[in-house]
Amino acid sequence: MKKLTFFFDGIEVSAIPGQSIGAALLESGTKVLRSTRIENKPRGMFCGIGVCFDCLVVINGVPNQRACLTEVAEAIQVINQQGSGAYPIEGAS
Amino acid sequence: MITIIGGGPAGLAAALAAGESGSKVLLIDSAPRLGGQYWRHLPENGAWGKQEAIRHDFEKGNQLRQRVAQSVNIEVLSNAHVWRASPHDEHITLHLLVGGVGRTIDVKNLILSTGAYDRSLPFPGWDIPGVMTPGGAQGLLKGNYVLPGKRIVVAGTGPFLLPVAAGLAEAGAEIVALLDANRLTRWIPKFHIVLANRAKLREGLGYFQTLAKYKIRQQRGSAVIQANAGSDGTLESVTIATIGRNFRAKAQEIIKCDSLAVGWGFTADLSLASNLNLKQDVLEEDKSVFVTVDEMQRTSMQNVFAAGEITGIGGHQLSLTEGKIAGFAAAAQFGHLTDVELKGKLEPLLAQRKKERKFASALISSYPVKPGWQEWLAPDTCICRCEEVTMEQIQDSITELGATDARTVKLFTRTGMGMCQGRICGRAVIDIVGRESGINPTIQDYISASSRPIVTPLPLGILEHAPHIE
Amino acid sequence: MSNLYGVPDFKSHPDAIVIGAGVVGAACALKLSGAGLKVLVLDRGPIAGGTTGAGEGNILVSDKEPGAELTLAMRSRNAWFEISEEIGGGFELEAKGGIVVSRSDNGKTALRSLSRQQEVAGVEAIEVGSKELRLLEPYLSHEVDYGIHYPGDAQCQPMLAAARMLRILRQRGGNVISGADVIAINKDSVGVKSVLTNQGEFATRIVVNATGTWAGEIAQLAGSFLPIAPRRGFILVTAPAAHLISHKVYDSDYVANVASGDADLQSSAVVEGTKSGTILIGASRERVGFKSDLDISILRVLAAQAISLFPVLRNVQLVRAYRGFRPYAPDHLPVIGQDPLVTGLWHAAGHEGAGIGLAPATAELITSQVTAATPFMDASAFSPARFTAVLAS
Ligand SMILES: Cc1cc2nc3c(=O)[nH]c(=O)nc-3n(C[C@H](O)[C@H](O)[C@H](O)COP(=O)(O)OP(=O)(O)OC[C@H]3O[C@@H](n4cnc5c(N)ncnc54)[C@H](O)[C@@H]3O)c2cc1C
Ligand SMILES: Cc1cc2nc3c(=O)[nH]c(=O)nc-3n(C[C@H](O)[C@H](O)[C@H](O)COP(=O)(O)OP(=O)(O)OC[C@H]3O[C@@H](n4cnc5c(N)ncnc54)[C@H](O)[C@@H]3O)c2cc1C
Ligand code: FES
Repeated sequence: MKKLTFFFDGIEVSAIPGQSIGAALLESGTKVLRSTRIENKPRGMFCGIGVCFDCLVVINGVPNQRACLTEVAEAIQVINQQGSGAYPIEGAS
Repeated sequence: MITIIGGGPAGLAAALAAGESGSKVLLIDSAPRLGGQYWRHLPENGAWGKQEAIRHDFEKGNQLRQRVAQSVNIEVLSNAHVWRASPHDEHITLHLLVGGVGRTIDVKNLILSTGAYDRSLPFPGWDIPGVMTPGGAQGLLKGNYVLPGKRIVVAGTGPFLLPVAAGLAEAGAEIVALLDANRLTRWIPKFHIVLANRAKLREGLGYFQTLAKYKIRQQRGSAVIQANAGSDGTLESVTIATIGRNFRAKAQEIIKCDSLAVGWGFTADLSLASNLNLKQDVLEEDKSVFVTVDEMQRTSMQNVFAAGEITGIGGHQLSLTEGKIAGFAAAAQFGHLTDVELKGKLEPLLAQRKKERKFASALISSYPVKPGWQEWLAPDTCICRCEEVTMEQIQDSITELGATDARTVKLFTRTGMGMCQGRICGRAVIDIVGRESGINPTIQDYISASSRPIVTPLPLGILEHAPHIE
Repeated sequence: MSNLYGVPDFKSHPDAIVIGAGVVGAACALKLSGAGLKVLVLDRGPIAGGTTGAGEGNILVSDKEPGAELTLAMRSRNAWFEISEEIGGGFELEAKGGIVVSRSDNGKTALRSLSRQQEVAGVEAIEVGSKELRLLEPYLSHEVDYGIHYPGDAQCQPMLAAARMLRILRQRGGNVISGADVIAINKDSVGVKSVLTNQGEFATRIVVNATGTWAGEIAQLAGSFLPIAPRRGFILVTAPAAHLISHKVYDSDYVANVASGDADLQSSAVVEGTKSGTILIGASRERVGFKSDLDISILRVLAAQAISLFPVLRNVQLVRAYRGFRPYAPDHLPVIGQDPLVTGLWHAAGHEGAGIGLAPATAELITSQVTAATPFMDASAFSPARFTAVLAS
């Protein structure tokens, strides 16, 4: 059976094609996907179907992506979203 | 051309009814695969050896998907979120986000079947990672072959808790307890309705057999009133209580678990219906909101039909039946069925719908959510998960700031203003404000809770570049 | 809806009645009560349920041309900070500062000359170039190389501001009744005698009309006339990302739009982060009556303009959009003062897109006029008599 790999906070995670990022992370033992912006509390998947927006992660540099909806793809970089998430400054060098 | 938004049981049935009658159909769904919340299974790929755990009714979904794929009349647009439906005099403009690209479609005839999601009640600790909705837990299993945890408590109320607990147990999880806040005795006066729906009865008994096979502790008249985190911040145990008929907590006990699936029935997703200003109403019994439809599933707007959970929560069978009726009625409107043909098709369906609706309303009255749940809340319990608004802040906005309704509480505290736009806390906040202020919510308060001009978040860059058709 | 706060004795005989529990009515009630009057506030809806509930909360001096309105705005800006002290804060007031930029040669010249005039009037206005702009706003587009920094521009959460002021009013013995629809204003030979609502009649000699966009209806009920009409505006609200933008940033075209008499859509991006975490993007201006449908083509223009200022916004999600109806008078100036035809009826309305900023100074003017004290400025430019004069001619 074909598997693919992606990265969470820099660490390799393997997944079945078609799985959501959130599911693959749960399978690998990761329940906490983000920390909230006001009280810095840990949060993970809650509704599992894209409704609650509690599973927000940063995918390839873009914050606020739902881990429960987004399917895994080879080599994507996913990181735990701290608060509102960081955005790169364009043209910064 | 008939456009259908939502490819769950209702949308699939509508597409097939209309498409196989000869109408051209465009079926739009936000998920990567058709099937809705009920048939969210991954395609068979042998990756997992426990398919039988989620086998229930799987074949039927697959058949419907295949028939859709084979129909030359049905075009499918998957991965397509309708983020706004704008009504105009002669047409409706649908704004879509399709696989990350903006798109705009003008349509004249629409069937809405956007379905439902789990209803949640806030309680202390419900934001701890490890607490999920039953639908979410089942989605992990069906759609991902992943278990939400090793030791799972299933709680809340409703018949849906049975397949969730049974499925998770079959797939190898330890179900520590299955708690339903309501007692089965609520069914006694309605037993004739159960007998008239033998398929439902059989399905239910099947789940009970599975639960017995795995010796699962079942407790009715009990609820999880608090979730507790361990040192790593994730779920470690839940506090359960026996509760009275009004949900007031009595004797308490702590049980260890790493996952809790808790839900209180379903809430219809009426965001698009609200975009279109479709007439909606509130069910007296549980204050749930639904789109009003006539015999043929027609809404208050010309050429717009509605089917499935959005016309009232009733489960996948009723969704299928309503979808068929809407599909045939829409096809007849375009002359693809004669009046006689339509009548022939509808006759058995209308009888079936009547029976299924009766069963649905028996379910609603057998699994009520009673106001005593509000007594489980502590001052620091998070009510709005997105904006992290506590019970105390809501109370202050009423007693100190003079809020008299849920909308004003929202303006003062930001409940429901976060990314989920009140989908999770909206209804609970209405109930809390009603009780704390002593002012009964109006029907309009309940209906307004699903007013979301932007149905699903979209990057500003997509909005900027979406093709300009209007 | 009903009154949550019991019925004090004075309820049927308050010294003054303020109609409208928006930010302007709340400020008027606070200031009148500070002058010793027993004040009753009536609103047909909940607190801050009108245009105040749709406002962005900017307290601006930067967008006003020198004249009476700038004088009002400058006083009002400081008065907000005094009110914050007086009522114990709690409405997210912050002196974040505004940055006005321009990208065209003509625009730059106009902006420079406006800011010079404002400086003469006492506004702090600092010319900033490419480098300083980048320090102030790291995510600003590299195409923006000229602007004026107005450190005095401030922001608040207007709904909370109204509610907090009314809370203090109640502590002082005043009262607020939500759900009281004013349906008649009764007069006798002296002037205003009582206010009739669906919840009963309230006798008083002083009525302040703070009904914003609906102020013309109240004037009419009293047998007078005010030409206040709605000017629609849309606001986009993003996912939490306020850390990207620290000031209120807008294009100088905005100033021209605010002053414009054109009915068609005008829009230029006004972008800002808020304390609650979201970024707000405004502000379109149209005269389409109370037409409320969400017009996606307007949202699209706002998004494009915001992205042209802050390219990073391309990846930031739009979560909500809402609209409100600014109360505007034909000459775009607020109406503050006693009605020329009805003794005892005072208008505090028609602040268009600046009612939040201008509320405290408006309340001060009303209070000094009602109590016959010396006002802090000559308010004749705001007098409602200006319309009656037009009517008579
Ligand atoms: C997570 C979950 C699991 C469930 N599991 C079961 C079960 O096992 N057994 C059971 O009997 N019932 C289950 N239910 C109850 C379920 O509501 C019904 O059984 C049935 O799926 C309802 O069918 P429907 O067609 O009305 O809606 P749904 O199945 O909910 O389908 C609605 C579809 O519309 C799509 N949609 C919604 N909004 C948009 C939009 N704006 N743009 C594009 N597409 C959109 C959704 O992606 C979805 O595919 C479950 C519900 C949930 C929420
Ligand atoms: C999109 C948008 C953005 C804005 N941004 C800003 C900004 O950043 N800064 C700024 O300063 N201003 C801004 N404004 C303008 C500002 O919101 C208004 O000028 C201000 O809120 C007006 O306040 P008000 O108290 O006069 O009116 P409202 O808040 O409308 O209050 C009037 C009240 O009167 C009540 N009422 C009406 N008729 C009756 C009756 N017959 N009986 C009883 N009660 C009645 C209504 O229910 C209402 O509550 C913005 C406006 C919009 C639309
Ligand atoms: S878990 Fe609810 S949106 Fe992802």
